[in-house]
Amino acid sequence: MTNTLIALSINGLVWGLIIALIALGLSVIFGLLDIINLSHGDFFMIGTVIAWTVLTTTGSFWPAFLLAPLVGFVLGALIQRIVLQPIRNAAALSIVATFGLSMILQEVVRMTFGPTPRRILPPIRGTFDLFGIDYEIYRLFAAAVSILALAAFFLFLHHTKLGTWMRAVRHDPETATAMGIPAQRVYRVTFGLGFALAALGGVVASPITTVDFRAGVDVLPFCFMAVIIGGLGNLPGTAAAAVLLAFLEGIISSFATPTVARIASLVLMSAVLLLRPQGLFKGLTK
Amino acid sequence: MSPSSAGRAAEPILRIEGLTKRFGGLTAVDRVTLAFAPRRLHAIIGPNGAGKTTLFNLISGFLPSDEGRVFFAGQEISRLRPHRISRLGISRTLQVKSVFQQLTVSENLWITAQAKRGVMNPFRSTSSYRDTCEKVERVLEQLELTRLADRQAGTLSYGDVALLEIGMAIAADPRLLLLDEPICGMSPAETERTVVKIRELAQTIDIVIIEHDMEVVFEIADDITVMAQGAILASGSPKEIAANEEVREAYLGRPEDEDYTEEPARA
Amino acid sequence: MIARTTIERGLLWGTGAFLLSVPWLIPALADRFWVNVIAEILIWSLFASSVNLLFGYVGLLSFGQALFFGFGMYGVAIGVEKLGLGFWPALGLGVAAPVAMAFVAGVFAVRLTWHYFAIITVVFSLIFYFLALTMKPLTGGDDGISFTLPSTFRFGASEWGFAQEAFQYLFILFTVAACLYAMRRLLGSPLGKAFMAIRDNDVRASLIGLNVYWLRLIAFVIAGFLAGLSGALFAFFGRYASATYMFYHVSGEAVVWTIVGGAGTLLGPLVGTSLFIVIREVVSTHWQHHSLIVGAVAILIVIYAPRGVVGLWRDLLDRWSAPKS
Repeated sequence: MTNTLIALSINGLVWGLIIALIALGLSVIFGLLDIINLSHGDFFMIGTVIAWTVLTTTGSFWPAFLLAPLVGFVLGALIQRIVLQPIRNAAALSIVATFGLSMILQEVVRMTFGPTPRRILPPIRGTFDLFGIDYEIYRLFAAAVSILALAAFFLFLHHTKLGTWMRAVRHDPETATAMGIPAQRVYRVTFGLGFALAALGGVVASPITTVDFRAGVDVLPFCFMAVIIGGLGNLPGTAAAAVLLAFLEGIISSFATPTVARIASLVLMSAVLLLRPQGLFKGLTK
Repeated sequence: MSPSSAGRAAEPILRIEGLTKRFGGLTAVDRVTLAFAPRRLHAIIGPNGAGKTTLFNLISGFLPSDEGRVFFAGQEISRLRPHRISRLGISRTLQVKSVFQQLTVSENLWITAQAKRGVMNPFRSTSSYRDTCEKVERVLEQLELTRLADRQAGTLSYGDVALLEIGMAIAADPRLLLLDEPICGMSPAETERTVVKIRELAQTIDIVIIEHDMEVVFEIADDITVMAQGAILASGSPKEIAANEEVREAYLGRPEDEDYTEEPARA
Repeated sequence: MIARTTIERGLLWGTGAFLLSVPWLIPALADRFWVNVIAEILIWSLFASSVNLLFGYVGLLSFGQALFFGFGMYGVAIGVEKLGLGFWPALGLGVAAPVAMAFVAGVFAVRLTWHYFAIITVVFSLIFYFLALTMKPLTGGDDGISFTLPSTFRFGASEWGFAQEAFQYLFILFTVAACLYAMRRLLGSPLGKAFMAIRDNDVRASLIGLNVYWLRLIAFVIAGFLAGLSGALFAFFGRYASATYMFYHVSGEAVVWTIVGGAGTLLGPLVGTSLFIVIREVVSTHWQHHSLIVGAVAILIVIYAPRGVVGLWRDLLDRWSAPKS
């Protein structure tokens, strides 16, 4: 019993870190472009499919770590240019557009990759002893990669010109434009980065979950929960909330079904929305 | 507190006691005590950031005050929600002109006139409310908006929107009208038209007006209150205010006083 | 302007006459399965109308209307299958349950606006979606509950019910038409104008003395009624209820249909729903990837006709009928 509790809570932690990556992309897109991106779960799904494709064509898993974010970035930038820029920041329209996008992405994957879910074996095999249970090494590796990517993203945001621009545009788009920051290009890069983060999350998660054209549908609500509980636009809060939520769901799943765990976090989310709409962590960061 | 205005009537239409509002470290409205006598047109002037609009927001219940009380015709309204205060008979306009964009001019007036009388009937047609419709007709005529009655408010010119906004304020049959920079951004012709309307209205409704255009203020106001940094600097008749050294100082060397210094040139 | 209203009135009568004649016209001219497709379009456009009432007329974008649709379905299915109710009591349950749920959910949800409102409505619907999945004995979970149709009317030996295709179709048509007519009356009433005032400017609405919270709650309950009734009809139509209809994708489709058809117009949801269901039915017989086309159409419409098909149509007609101005 304690063993399963430990295993499930560590699983939750690992999963939470991956979700943090995806939710971060969602939060950046929301905070900067004011878009509720309903296709974000599918960006994640595209990542898992890229991982599967790379593995089956080259025989190696590793190139996917480079390729998926790259493809994601380019696709994201293209989507922003073609679909979202023409409708500006009309939030209701962008919801419809990203919903349509989600249908297209899923259908394209169903056409090419096929409707049957597949599994990927972890590229790092083997288990080790963790508090008396055999634990997969790959999961720890996945956690490490996620932490590295999160750290890299925050460094990028705070220590590069582009990152500063992104924060400036988010803070006050008009002033930023007046100061000569190319807002449209920043939007494009932001959307690309959001997609790239989700796709990277997909690669990292692909050996843990299944590769399926519907995978995004389940991930999306979870990411939204992290974004809301962390506070809309509060990036560190989002990351923290993702880890916290997945961890809690892991613990609850050890004595109830995963569905009950999901209901519990949804109820928590409603409470946060109604009582602290700025998110749980407001005040900890700007 | 202005002794000149308080002395004239037994019961002021609006009485404010020690009203205070802080935003973080900033005190936007600082222990303001005022009484507005009925049947007079009151103006509140002051540089930007003096707390004038915040004061309106506190009176109309739009912001909760930190301290102090507000009495309307003797009844305390300090803790009431905006729609309750509005139903008691205080109408206000907003600095940023805001009407119901997708409703027509007459629908804007209709819903404003009907709001207090109940809007819960889902089946009766709006045109069957004879009283309200007559009221709308009267306001349309009074403000010379009849020709625009069926236009969507979002398609009106700026000056017409401002007139509609005033029309909405009076369609609610208020006892007290709070006008927040009603002529801001208007052309000279529109300004003149609006000032005439405000004067007419003042015959029947008590009006408090926030205005930057000193020419207009000194032309129409019976009493003037000057605010600076959230507090009241002076109160009195236009003559008294014009002669007040402190007031002159508060306005000198500020960009906001353009209207004031330009006054002779424009007049 | 005169030209537009005349053309529109003509179109409306034409559509009405067509819809009335469907049970006899379609079997004579085309495959009879289109009768049921049109019945389905009517049900889903009633569902989309609940999104339209909230978004198009009160300014609240609900992404959780599937919750009430699902309650309508389950009200009917549980009523018939578990409680042994007849048609009318089951229909009553299928309407009362979602209305009660809408009131409870609305008390909380309408405290929020905009993004927060959209999100909390999804969250509420997800909570009950997952609950429905776990409460298998009551709801049948993913598999749902099937039931045998009770008859609607019985006069002596003759019975009328959803088992007869024409009766089923006409019952749905009259119910949906009655709801749209009531909604039209509502939009011309004080309550409707108050809704639109709140949509245009909620700050201003409270300044003129409207109780914005209360009015939004009323709208939310009415929308819950529309969504619930459409769910109840759909349950009778399909003879079953399933938790899958409470998932957020169902809500999302209604939002897409409404905005593509034209939010804030009475018939926009009907137009949008027809467009997508007809595309689906026509394309899916030839090509299984019809979602590609649905997604692309949704995107193209929001880019090139942000006011929806009805908005586009009106712009075109106005330009055509008034070339001088």
